[in-house]
Amino acid sequence: MRIATLSHLKSWLDRLAQQADLVAPRDVDGHVLYRPVSSAAEVLFEYERPELSAKDYLFPATEVLLRVEQEGKEVSIEEVLPQRPQVIFGLRPCDAHGLAAIDALFLNQQPQDRYYQQRRERTTLVGMACPKMWDGCFCVSVGGGPTDRSHLDVLLTPVEGGFAVDTVTPKGAGVLAGLEMTSVEGRPPAVEEYARPVPVASPDQWRARFKHDLWMRHGERCLSCRICTYVCPTCRCFDVTDRVVDVQAGRTRIERIRAWDACTSTNYRRAAGGHNSRPTKPDRIRNRFLCKFCYYPQDFGPLGCVGCGRCVVSCPVDIDITEIMREVAER
Amino acid sequence: MPIDRSLTKELGELARGLLESGQVECVIGYEAAPRGGVRPLFAYSPADAGRLIWSTRCVHNLTTYLHDKKKPRRRGEEPPRVAVVVKPCDSRTINVLLAEGQIERQRITVIGMACPGMEDETGQPLARCTTCSDRLPLVYDLLLGQPPQVTPATDDYADLAQIEALPPAERLAFWLRQFDRCIRCYACRQVCPGCYCTTCMFERDDGLWVDMGIELPQKYLFHLGRAFHLAGRCVACDECERVCPMGLPLRLLNRQLAREVERLYGHRAGQEEALSPLLFELGEEGSPI
Repeated sequence: MRIATLSHLKSWLDRLAQQADLVAPRDVDGHVLYRPVSSAAEVLFEYERPELSAKDYLFPATEVLLRVEQEGKEVSIEEVLPQRPQVIFGLRPCDAHGLAAIDALFLNQQPQDRYYQQRRERTTLVGMACPKMWDGCFCVSVGGGPTDRSHLDVLLTPVEGGFAVDTVTPKGAGVLAGLEMTSVEGRPPAVEEYARPVPVASPDQWRARFKHDLWMRHGERCLSCRICTYVCPTCRCFDVTDRVVDVQAGRTRIERIRAWDACTSTNYRRAAGGHNSRPTKPDRIRNRFLCKFCYYPQDFGPLGCVGCGRCVVSCPVDIDITEIMREVAER
Repeated sequence: MPIDRSLTKELGELARGLLESGQVECVIGYEAAPRGGVRPLFAYSPADAGRLIWSTRCVHNLTTYLHDKKKPRRRGEEPPRVAVVVKPCDSRTINVLLAEGQIERQRITVIGMACPGMEDETGQPLARCTTCSDRLPLVYDLLLGQPPQVTPATDDYADLAQIEALPPAERLAFWLRQFDRCIRCYACRQVCPGCYCTTCMFERDDGLWVDMGIELPQKYLFHLGRAFHLAGRCVACDECERVCPMGLPLRLLNRQLAREVERLYGHRAGQEEALSPLLFELGEEGSPI
């Protein structure tokens, strides 16, 4: 294996930060989050699973799609597309897996989502293997793993003396240019697997549970907040609106934005005229789980869950996706 | 997690009785969560009642679920009768909701618990419990447990003093830094028993006050707006701070306003069945501010 020392990694990152937008795990007032960094000094190299996924950097929580200016009868429209190259450093394998799940909808369907596609094309994913599985994690049960390289461009693994560097794609090789490495014998250590795997029922099994009291049992305590969908690396629902930015001297500036939306929120399914086809909390959490394990895989291929465990640990009323997966598979 | 076995048993029997006699359709209480700790439970049957527990981890304010029980399940039916388990702090919410005409007293059976003070997952007392010596709920129909003897706690608002000592620019910077972490998941609003508007002003389709963007200006406006809407109504159950996935110190905001309201009007939310003076009272000479 090839190894880069921590100091070599840092000088490489410092140079990289000059050439591209660099996103990496940071300590933000005691919270580990993927955030833009300007130098290696801000980057964490030993950290737990960041509290939010990195999807914000490919599918931003708020994104300006168009800028419109109107003056008298003149209207001009400008499409806002990202141009800068971006490197996400220290990405956990589950978060890369989550992007692959989003790709299935935004890239592999026609028409492609132009905004996502532009960002994705310009982004290089430098992953960091997890030294262990964290609280709530079950990636190994849904096709991932703490050292899974499949959706990354580069995988780093902490080893004695530095980090083992595994170049996965040509894009990854490109971004590594200038990183000093030495070759040594041996392989990075394996990670102990999760003690209790979670069963994944088939889409048909999930569909057969459409009318079942489990939705009421778990759904009634749901708060209809958006935590689970916003911390999720694969949830990709959004809403679009136009906002007036500025009105001055007969000139109006408008932005068309899209922002994250959540199927757990009360009004998500409300249609014109006020009808809501998912009026209750059980209706909504059933949709969330069937989307992940039935609708999304059937319509687009991959599961809508990478087992990162974030929804499990952050739900304020303990709605636990693994508990529901077990109930559906084992009943 | 230290479960109080004898109170758990009493609570289970009480709930079973209420359900079997048909006095209530549902008992809203707590059960042990599979991953440890406690979570809300809606007990509909005597068997469900056997899952109810009482422990020092029963932190949730369950009165927020009473809003789900205001309407009949089917058209033409009566709204359901329910029982709800409350701690002293939660019981203040009952007073607020009664004063605001949100719940009907005769449809709610309040199971009051003598409170030993609640703890977090590490066994530390919750922040709100360190400044509270209420051991009995203010409103209840049935009471379980003996109130432990405690020395009355005093609240010197030391947490607010720290913030107030900062110059205004630094104070603003502090709050902007906190709000920046917000992901606008609305968990604080959703868990709040005082936030029951059918359409939140911060979530209007027309974006009259704030658009749907998840950016600092919207988050700033949302949190300050919500705090003002809760002024004189917030009972300081701290649920908003507990559920926040990004650890925003929302308790500080709420306490700031609670202290001002008490200073100006002598009003403490939920101490009795009374509306917040900020909701209706301007007085002859206008606002006292």
